[in-house]
Amino acid sequence: MRIVITGIGAVTPLGTGRDDLWTGLLAGRLGFAPVESFDTAGFNVHLGAEVRGFSPAAHVRTLDPARLGRASQLAIAAARLALADARVGQLDDWHDGQPAGVAAERAGVALGTTSGESREIERFDDRFLAGELDAVGGEFMERYPCQMIAVHVARELGLAGINTMIPAACAAGNYALAHAVDVLRAGRADLMLAGGADAFSRTTFTGFARLGAIAPERCQPFDRRRRGMIPGEGAAVLVLEPLAAARRRGARIYAEVAGYGLSCDAHHMTAAHPEGEGAVRAMARALADAGVAPEEVSYISAHGTGTPTNDRLEAIAVGRVFGARTRVPISSIKSMLGHTMGAASAIEAAVCALAVAHDEIPPTMGLEEPEGDLDYVPNVARRLRVEVAMNNAYAFGGSNASTIFRKCEGTAS
Amino acid sequence: MSTHEQATAEPRRRVVITGAGLVSPLGDSPAALHQALVAGTSGRKPVELFDTTGIGCTEGGEIRPFEPQGYVGDRNLRPLDRTSRLLVVAAQLALADSGWAAVLRGGAGGAGGRPPAGGTGSPAGPGTGAGAVAAGAGAGTPGGGTEAAAAGGPAEPSAPGAPLAEQVEVGLVVGTTFCSVRTIAEFDRRAIRLGPTHASPLDFANSVINAAAGQAAIWHGLRGVNSTLAGGEASGLLAIAQAAEMIRAGRADAVLAGGAEELCFESFFGYHRAGRLCGSRRGAAGAATGGEGAGGPAAVAERPVPFDARRNGFSLAEGAALLVLEEAGTAAGRGATVHAEVLGWGAAFAAQEGEAGMAAAVARAVRLALADAGAAPAAIGFLSASASGSIEVDRAEALGVAAALNGRAAALPVTAIKAMLGEGLGVSAAWQAIDAVETLGDGMLPGIAGLETLELGLPLPGAEAATRQLPLLARRLALVTAVGADGHCAALVVGAPPAPAAGGQATGKGAPGVRETAP
Repeated sequence: MRIVITGIGAVTPLGTGRDDLWTGLLAGRLGFAPVESFDTAGFNVHLGAEVRGFSPAAHVRTLDPARLGRASQLAIAAARLALADARVGQLDDWHDGQPAGVAAERAGVALGTTSGESREIERFDDRFLAGELDAVGGEFMERYPCQMIAVHVARELGLAGINTMIPAACAAGNYALAHAVDVLRAGRADLMLAGGADAFSRTTFTGFARLGAIAPERCQPFDRRRRGMIPGEGAAVLVLEPLAAARRRGARIYAEVAGYGLSCDAHHMTAAHPEGEGAVRAMARALADAGVAPEEVSYISAHGTGTPTNDRLEAIAVGRVFGARTRVPISSIKSMLGHTMGAASAIEAAVCALAVAHDEIPPTMGLEEPEGDLDYVPNVARRLRVEVAMNNAYAFGGSNASTIFRKCEGTAS
Repeated sequence: MSTHEQATAEPRRRVVITGAGLVSPLGDSPAALHQALVAGTSGRKPVELFDTTGIGCTEGGEIRPFEPQGYVGDRNLRPLDRTSRLLVVAAQLALADSGWAAVLRGGAGGAGGRPPAGGTGSPAGPGTGAGAVAAGAGAGTPGGGTEAAAAGGPAEPSAPGAPLAEQVEVGLVVGTTFCSVRTIAEFDRRAIRLGPTHASPLDFANSVINAAAGQAAIWHGLRGVNSTLAGGEASGLLAIAQAAEMIRAGRADAVLAGGAEELCFESFFGYHRAGRLCGSRRGAAGAATGGEGAGGPAAVAERPVPFDARRNGFSLAEGAALLVLEEAGTAAGRGATVHAEVLGWGAAFAAQEGEAGMAAAVARAVRLALADAGAAPAAIGFLSASASGSIEVDRAEALGVAAALNGRAAALPVTAIKAMLGEGLGVSAAWQAIDAVETLGDGMLPGIAGLETLELGLPLPGAEAATRQLPLLARRLALVTAVGADGHCAALVVGAPPAPAAGGQATGKGAPGVRETAP
């Protein structure tokens, strides 16, 4: 069964909606600014990629937005935007009927995250330290557990099918996408909303700062002088459905999700394997699953965080799969969006689908002295025919996930 | 993609259980847990892991003493928090129980270390070396390793004759709600108190919700898929289902699947403030009285009593449990003992809050699991229910199961082991599944300790306080349900092991009413 992407919704540091994301990336816009979510006075780094000007009430209509954590709000907005983009009909959600002719019981959610609703535990900690735990009520357990992000999306939209939260850290979006594909192929649902969400988190910022992994001024993946990543937040949701169903309803198709590959380094919690061993297996497996040869790949969306280690090892792994002298273009949109954690590979999957649909690929910004000989698409977007795109994601815990997107007859342009 | 389209036309790949490992408040092996449950022993005790002063609830399912060195030796445990330690130990025990520990060490890949539930196995002889195992995996499996490769298994298959551990990667799928919310909170609070330069890099590595799965993979060299699922009380069952789905789809051949959760102040206090622990609403509520302040102390139980009219919340517990799920041919090829077969599963979500919506979702999950297993309601021998003493959820679960099973519900033997173990959230369903396999083996269905007054009108009259010996006919198919207050509903059908090719086995009859192939 072939699975296709028919809708894209995204809330990112470049704005709300697919168009802000895509046009922003092609224009090389940067989503970085001094952090506003909390005081960074005690840190030696101050930039973040926060979502600014986001109005939950514009998207959260069934539930009370004030009772949701920020990651849930972002995810709901991305989900509603994705459904609208998929033109599933006049209906906004499953409370009123059956958008796209799919019963609520046959429509599910699979979302990834790194930290879930981290702000809820941070609020708990503030109260703990202030001796004000009496102020903690029942809302803590109704908001904090990370699966509440998928729960809130499903309740908001009336989705009664399979509901899965996959907290697979920075590869979570790809993991959720892979799971959604399996659910559809097994015939356990007719439509899946798949993606990822994370809210800007004090905990995450503190941790990466402590590891010395945050860049002070610029995020420059694959540049010799790169100094780290910049933490971000956001959400992306894709509408997935079987190709046959999408054709039947005359849906616009961005791309086919042609395959995926998962693996685990089983090597180190926060550092990738020195030879990129697990990353190689994930890429090779994804190619085999999609029935695609390395030379057929038109574009690689890199994990490309901008940390010295990640980018060096990812380049080694790509070289091992595609050949050391490969000319396949590879870029990192984290140079513009920062690292949106659990949302990152979902946003990158959306961008791969858009690249396949529009035959254009976003650049790696801030690239002045490329390390190595790969084609990192420096600083300027490029038009080229994108037949197949690969999306790489690597996570704490050594989890690796690669997904592959392919042009499909009838792909929108 | 051609391989997947072909797969639907071929006989379905079967998923068998070749071992299990667990740590729990009631023991650290399937047999020990089963014995304690059958005896009605409670794992609830005064909590010592953290100070409960002022909380109002003081008891929980704490594992005490928990000494991981006793299981895993003197390797450095310092980088692992409590959730990771629990999971690493469960994985150690599961790998040993299934015989995979020896395979991963590169030694003989013989059968599991314990006899099959309720029967005699045919463990591989002592002369079975690595070479013989590898040959077996290739020759004895329909399709064997090559099928796995063609259907999306290892993309770079090792040469025939390579050690099994190189041909088959072992994966890990973990259900959890919090992983370690204690680690996350302590990392955050330390940075706030002392400044960000005092934050602990070690704690940060463990602050991701997939940390335990990553640590266990590193500890045991599990290089296959590594996934973490969060779905509250249903997490563990969703993890088992995802792992089984991957095996069925040809994406994996051997996966450890289950869950892990630690007992800590943050979750204990959080659930207490939400009024969900038994004791949280002391003297203020009870299921039978159904309203805030309507019940007197006499109507309220002070312990977790699933399905009871006096139930007043659950007892929070901790632990880890993993089943070893394996493609049937891979298991047969290495001469592994098959304890049971995963026949089907289903999952649904209650988009509408409240009892009716929850019951409908439970019913859908159960119907989907039965259909997936090709099993009629009448063929189900017993139910291991999710019920925990939760005021809101237990009744909805019973209504949903009964709706899906029609007439079978009236006479269905039912257990709810959270009466003894407590609510382990992510680990709960894995405990249930492991103990259901034990019941399939010896026929002993644990009673629901403390159950005195089944809630009026509850449509599962087979929920009883006393432990029972089930008749042989009821030892073929088990139904396991997992229901979360957040709306996640899942069901699993587990069958007694299929008949062995040779040699007698007490429970070796194939499950009645079970299709051999996909529709």
